[in-house]
Amino acid sequence: MSRRNEILDQVSKVVAVPSCSHMASGLLGNPDADFRELARVIEYDPGLTANLLKVVNASFFSGSRPVRTAREAIIKLGTTQVLQFVISTGVAPSFVQKIEGYDLAPNMHLQHSVSVAMAARELGSILSMDVPDYTFTAGLLSGIGKTLLGAYVDVNVQSILDFALRDGLSFDQAEDMVLGINHAELGGIVLESWGLPEELTRVVRHHLRPDEYDGVDPVLDLVHIGNVLAKMIGVGLGVDGLNYIPSQKVAERLGLSPDVLDMAAANVVVGLESVRSLFMECVA
Amino acid sequence: MTREPDHTTPQPVGCEASTAKREPLVVNISDMKLSSDSADVIVTYSLGSCLGVTAYDPVLRIGAMVHCLLPSPGANREKARKNPFMFVNTGVATMVRKVIDLGAKRERLIFKAAGGANMRNDTLFNTGRRNFEALEKLLERNSVTLSAQDVGGTIPRTLFLYLDTGRVVVRSFGKEKEL
Repeated sequence: MSRRNEILDQVSKVVAVPSCSHMASGLLGNPDADFRELARVIEYDPGLTANLLKVVNASFFSGSRPVRTAREAIIKLGTTQVLQFVISTGVAPSFVQKIEGYDLAPNMHLQHSVSVAMAARELGSILSMDVPDYTFTAGLLSGIGKTLLGAYVDVNVQSILDFALRDGLSFDQAEDMVLGINHAELGGIVLESWGLPEELTRVVRHHLRPDEYDGVDPVLDLVHIGNVLAKMIGVGLGVDGLNYIPSQKVAERLGLSPDVLDMAAANVVVGLESVRSLFMECVA
Repeated sequence: MTREPDHTTPQPVGCEASTAKREPLVVNISDMKLSSDSADVIVTYSLGSCLGVTAYDPVLRIGAMVHCLLPSPGANREKARKNPFMFVNTGVATMVRKVIDLGAKRERLIFKAAGGANMRNDTLFNTGRRNFEALEKLLERNSVTLSAQDVGGTIPRTLFLYLDTGRVVVRSFGKEKEL
């Protein structure tokens, strides 16, 4: 079996993405907890969001409009079911554990995911684009493949880095060379296998190389640049560092300039302060 | 946050307290820490295109580190007013003022810098290079020379400043080197 097939074989075994849910669980135990606060906790947690979207888009709801954001999912499921969901999936706060392979310290992948989501949304706002709400969700989920591919990267990290640093490939191109798949494609495949809407899975799949997507999708463009921005800011940089290639075509399409990017970066750093307590709770 | 001489905090007593490992002072993004306690270590993690700059007075063993996000305020003047450490030109200048306020002598200060990385093949934004250029311009204007640097490329960096000796260490991919 090729390495790619071996990795893809694991996809069917992934039933839930690890999450940081003990904070949500804590809210559940408090009868006075604000439901909006619970929604906020889920919204900033890639694991909970991915799992919740999986549940709400599952066959029980098939035929209705796909659900693309945590808030939509909460409205659709109702409080009681969301509470049950968080309890049933929320006992393993491993999304915030160290991700082997990428050398991401505990909590760093969570912070990076939130930064990409905020950066994508912020860019859309600065550029006065009418972007859908799920831009945030797509950004939040974009790096989810790392939690799955980490074990394989761990074993082959030196070969991957050799391709990246010696041959000037991006880290995802190097992953393709060594593993036959990269974490963006893998993330897209996992979410697709869960029945998440195509608008989300295509962004996750193509967010590192948007030029390979056959079409134009403003959400994909924003998440691609959001990811670039989050890496430049330096939140959650692992062994892959800044070894990714920004798309010039996307930059031109969005009409980006260093000033726009600087403004977005500054706003994201200020915004991160407002959710720092969430990150702290997640490692507590 | 600053760890300056604090006469209100009870000092540790007994062997256990005195041998306890002290937590480093962590500099976040758009943040600065300084200390006049030679037992301190200042650190900033995960420098991407941001620039980490240290200043150290070897006689008084006063040191500081700033982690700047962007070269200059540009359209973000309000943000610079609220937090000068977000920008290289306002952040480094403010850091120097703070260490001088603690008693350090300007002419003795040793400056070192790390970070300023860029994305691969990025010719459009170049935030890392712009950050370093802003530092060079600021230092030149003040007739100050950078003693050491580890900037550019595509690698993330963690930067340490040891207050006891002024030693500055850069860690990347698990390997450390002294600047």
